[in-house]
Amino acid sequence: MDDGAIALARHKLDADEFYRMAVAGILRRQDRVELIDGDLIDMAPIGQGHEATVAGLNEALVVAYAGRAIVWPQNSLRLNRLNVPQPNFTVLRRRADFYATGERASPANVLLLVEVADSSLDFDRTVKLPLYARSGIADSWIVDLKGRTLFVHRRPAGDRYGEMTTHQAGERIALALEPEIVVSLDLMFPG
Amino acid sequence: MDDAGIAPARHRLNVEDFYRMAEAGIFGEDDRIELIDGDLIDMAPIGQAHAGIVNALANALYKACEGKAIVSAQNPIRLDRASEPQPDLAVLRPRADFYATGEPPGPDDVLLLVEVADTSLNFDRVVKLPLYARAGIAELWIFDIKRRVVDAFKGPSGNGYAETITYRAGETVGLACAPDIAVKLNLVFG
Repeated sequence: MDDGAIALARHKLDADEFYRMAVAGILRRQDRVELIDGDLIDMAPIGQGHEATVAGLNEALVVAYAGRAIVWPQNSLRLNRLNVPQPNFTVLRRRADFYATGERASPANVLLLVEVADSSLDFDRTVKLPLYARSGIADSWIVDLKGRTLFVHRRPAGDRYGEMTTHQAGERIALALEPEIVVSLDLMFPG
Repeated sequence: MDDAGIAPARHRLNVEDFYRMAEAGIFGEDDRIELIDGDLIDMAPIGQAHAGIVNALANALYKACEGKAIVSAQNPIRLDRASEPQPDLAVLRPRADFYATGEPPGPDDVLLLVEVADTSLNFDRVVKLPLYARAGIAELWIFDIKRRVVDAFKGPSGNGYAETITYRAGETVGLACAPDIAVKLNLVFG
């Protein structure tokens, strides 16, 4: 009888409420909070190796995309009503105002999405990757800092990706949506 | 080396965040939300049997408490910075302004908390009872609608209570800290 499921219903917040919490100062940028399935999630603290990899990838992505797309580091991305994650990088189709006005960036604008993962590897794989697949993100990368490996996920179908390839520092990767653009992984693990 | 070993976790809110969310209109008027250990919890809808028991018990307590204590129905109790539940009923120490101003009622003001449980029974027992015990709530009654019994918990100690007594319809349950406040359960269970 009493050992059944606990009738606990966490109150789910939607993306509009999430943004209003930011406007009201209840969530601040330094709080580093994502909205995942309607729950507020504290992002993992960023370690030193993580910072270096983000900086190295930033340079590689900016070099590859300069003038052709927008590299959007550590901004939030509204996937749907209940999900506003903050990937390490989102590469967006170019828009003259860099998405300063008008419709917020949405999955339809995304060319590439990158998560750099240390302690968050499980969470990124089991929670965020299915979200990205469901949103139709065509090219999702997860950098595994501990394993010093890049996992590239393509061909989203349902909540999975149909293709996963692994890559090491030093490789060159052509992008799923714009194969003429090649990103160098020379700086993926600067340390 | 990377010094980050903490995986993502749910963001915990505090009572100030909770009130600012209400002020900012983030909760709708129909939302019934408690703050429990920093989580926003949607309260179970109040069924007819639940409402009836709360009404009957409230009336019995109003009579028993007249001039001695304040009966507070479905209002928040501030347990600590991360928890502000809304028990079905609370019996509070008298205060001239009925807690309209100053500090909101906290554990030291509470003589008794009452939860009436149907679908929420496990949540009340597994989550809220330890929370109330940790906060030092002196007495807790949990009405189990399905079994038609009341478990009365006294003597908060750690995550639980030192003493539990089960009362059935036909019996009288009273407050340990105020023995002249007592309720005949046949008035409540009907």
